Amino acid sequence: MFTLVIGGAASGKSEYAEGVVLRSPHRPRYYIATMEPFDGEGRARVEKHRRMRAGKQFETVECYTGLSSVRLPERGAVLLECVGNLAANELYSPKEAGSVHASWRAVTTGVQALLSQCGDLVVVSNEVFTGGERYAEGTDDYLRLVAEINHTLAARADRVCEVVCGLPRYYKGAAG
Amino acid sequence: MIFITGPLYSGKRSYACRLLGCAPEELEEHAVWDVQDLAAGSADLSALAEELARREVVIATEVGGGVVPIDPDERAAREAAGRLSCLLAQKAERVVRVFCGLPMALK
Repeated sequence: MFTLVIGGAASGKSEYAEGVVLRSPHRPRYYIATMEPFDGEGRARVEKHRRMRAGKQFETVECYTGLSSVRLPERGAVLLECVGNLAANELYSPKEAGSVHASWRAVTTGVQALLSQCGDLVVVSNEVFTGGERYAEGTDDYLRLVAEINHTLAARADRVCEVVCGLPRYYKGAAG
Repeated sequence: MIFITGPLYSGKRSYACRLLGCAPEELEEHAVWDVQDLAAGSADLSALAEELARREVVIATEVGGGVVPIDPDERAAREAAGRLSCLLAQKAERVVRVFCGLPMALK
């Protein structure tokens, strides 16, 4: 089962997505962490999410770019968090700095590779499209990239929900 | 009138084309989009909604999410866009929100 969980900042999407993985019968549970902590704020955020996962028996796999290269030792349940970070890493990180299309391919083929290695997959993505479109130049590339990845994953997923205030609204499939 | 809303790049126009069975270049004949941009300059949102509601399909991008802008004009523009969408949804026979290319009926 492939579930795509999308939400805005602090919408409760991570917690909801963890719940979906915890209900999966598959073991072990893998958490694919994508945020490279650059500063104090980043480290604090990573720490907050680590605390949320503490005691839930997740094995953390770090992956900032090139998701296709991740090899999971067993067919477990996977939580990938999040598309927004992966997209930014592929598009902007000095090592990668790919085009929108290359970045789209890197993320979507990476998700496909994960699907073939696990029992259940939950991917967390970001709702960054209702804050208007007056952003710094170049931001539009990022928005289009996240949108295209979301569309591709939504088409492939068995279930797609948007989390608002911690509550899921299913656009495809149903809660369970 | 069918009112279609949703985030930026969510697939609203593609959905409208599927709904109407028309090609993207024919959409103009049936639909009007980006109506959220008309709200800020309008002195009478009810009259604007009335006029737009004569079209077969009306499409608006949601712009009220994210952080409330510091700039008063931008704040007012978001406010007007949101109110226009509410008026359009009231007048519509059907309201659909498109999210990641997937439609959800709101009315």
